[in-house]
Amino acid sequence: MRECGSAEVRDPHPPASKARTDALTHLRTPALPLPPALAPILQGGPLLTRTIGTPGGSLTHDGRMSSSKKDDEKKKARTETDPLREEVRAIADKAGAGRVAVAYHDYQTGTSWSYQGDQWFHAASTIKVPVLLGVFRAVEDGRLTLMARVHVRNLFTSAAEDGSTFRVAANRDANAEVPRNIGKTMRVEDLALHMITTSSNLATNLLVDAVGVEAIADTLSKLKLDKGVRFRRGVEDDAAHAAGINNECTADGMLEVLRTIEERKAFSKESSQQMLDILHRQQFRSAIPGRLPGDVRVANKTGEISTVAHDAGIVYPPDRKPYALVVLTEWEASRTGGRSDTIARISLAVFRRLTGRKD
Amino acid sequence: MPPISELKVVDGLKLSAAARRVLRPAELVRGRDGFTRRLPRWFYEVPSWEVALETTLTPHFKLWEFIDIDFREHRMLRAEKQRYVPLAVTLLAAAMEAFRQEVNTYVHISANGGYRSPAHELSRFASVHCWGIAAHLYRVGDDWLDNESNIRRYAEVACGVFPAFRALPYGAGPGKTEDHLHLDLGYVTVVPHEKADEEPDEDAQPLPGGIAKPKQSGKKGE
Repeated sequence: MRECGSAEVRDPHPPASKARTDALTHLRTPALPLPPALAPILQGGPLLTRTIGTPGGSLTHDGRMSSSKKDDEKKKARTETDPLREEVRAIADKAGAGRVAVAYHDYQTGTSWSYQGDQWFHAASTIKVPVLLGVFRAVEDGRLTLMARVHVRNLFTSAAEDGSTFRVAANRDANAEVPRNIGKTMRVEDLALHMITTSSNLATNLLVDAVGVEAIADTLSKLKLDKGVRFRRGVEDDAAHAAGINNECTADGMLEVLRTIEERKAFSKESSQQMLDILHRQQFRSAIPGRLPGDVRVANKTGEISTVAHDAGIVYPPDRKPYALVVLTEWEASRTGGRSDTIARISLAVFRRLTGRKD
Repeated sequence: MPPISELKVVDGLKLSAAARRVLRPAELVRGRDGFTRRLPRWFYEVPSWEVALETTLTPHFKLWEFIDIDFREHRMLRAEKQRYVPLAVTLLAAAMEAFRQEVNTYVHISANGGYRSPAHELSRFASVHCWGIAAHLYRVGDDWLDNESNIRRYAEVACGVFPAFRALPYGAGPGKTEDHLHLDLGYVTVVPHEKADEEPDEDAQPLPGGIAKPKQSGKKGE
């Protein structure tokens, strides 16, 4: 799979069936009172703490449903009336997306919600946020400094067992600054900035090289983020892709990555703030921030390859606590238009639900 | 723009224990090819990076270009203000100047592409870079040396103007390069006048006209 806009199609995850799509909506226990916008989802029943709506239980011999089955049916009925879920599905269907997964955590209400949140996707460039965590862990452990200089070169060893080398294709990197420095050095902090703000694949692979694939994966493991994020290699490693070695994530998993940064728990406040500052300087703004009102700040990271388009970000509306949002989408490679706008529409639906604003 | 002759020449064997552990002066090391060679003993002491930026080696090359390294260099060498580079770097600079004049455009020696200490992460197998007589070029003028054609072309130019140059061929794997041109002068060391390269050896025989007995120069490592 070619990253950053190649037309090549090799999809390890065929689109799920619609039944499967319908089956996976989560709603987790809120820590704070729910806003009016959430009331329709929860009316008259307990708060849900697990995946609901999958066929569970069965008809008894007299034709009556077992109590567990009845509970499931009630929950399913509530889920199916969830207007956000319906809206997400409608947006995705209208755009022709193969699969969509959405997850958010709202700091105003303490509520987490997800739609197909446990579905695995190729992570594309959203994996650069977990790489950022790995870089800052190396810095906090004293193995690297943000001021340390890294030799810029465009030759990397594949994660595939053949030990082959590969390069980042110049026409697939939106960033020109990093390639211009080949043969010279750049600071870790500058590479991190380019990795996130212009999604530089070259900067990413240099940082992965500097920190190490195992060290980054170990960071995710120690932060218990590896259940929803699989980091296995740098980007544009076609030999590794052919060998089935890919970076993957779920919407729930990437949401936890964002929460790790926003909640400033796993890293020092200074490091967390530096990571947020980098995400705030994102230059690709057409997805999650794309349709939001101008007074809303967003710290985000997009990701797009031939068959997926994602965005993961923390949204800061004025006069309200922020929320973290992840939107993962999968597409036929031939359908290249409207991807970012689909994410933007879903983002706007989430924004309206959480804030009650209609602008 | 001071010339390099103004820099202090130091005996690596008389540096601090910490510096000797990193630079390993005059130690025998085994290369990837299995051969054993002795690392340089005599170094220029570069008081600061600012001095390296200003010190002229040749009309087109400053000292810093031969000692630019990244985070993979030993922590001590990155943390200390003063740096060390083997005396043979002047020979490399002369050869590079000949090359520079032939191509008549900018020649960029890369980071980690000049002198690297034996403690540098990329100095495994006793890299020839530890002698200070190797250079990596990623770019000459506007030409990127990341393809066979350009690597071969500039290798021929370099070896043509300075026959002592060795250029690694294009390709992947040990002994080849695919994203830069590697040039080196072999395992050359330079011994300053009035200095010894080895400890006194009673069995050393003078050549005609030489000194009959070697001077005692004290204990190793002082």
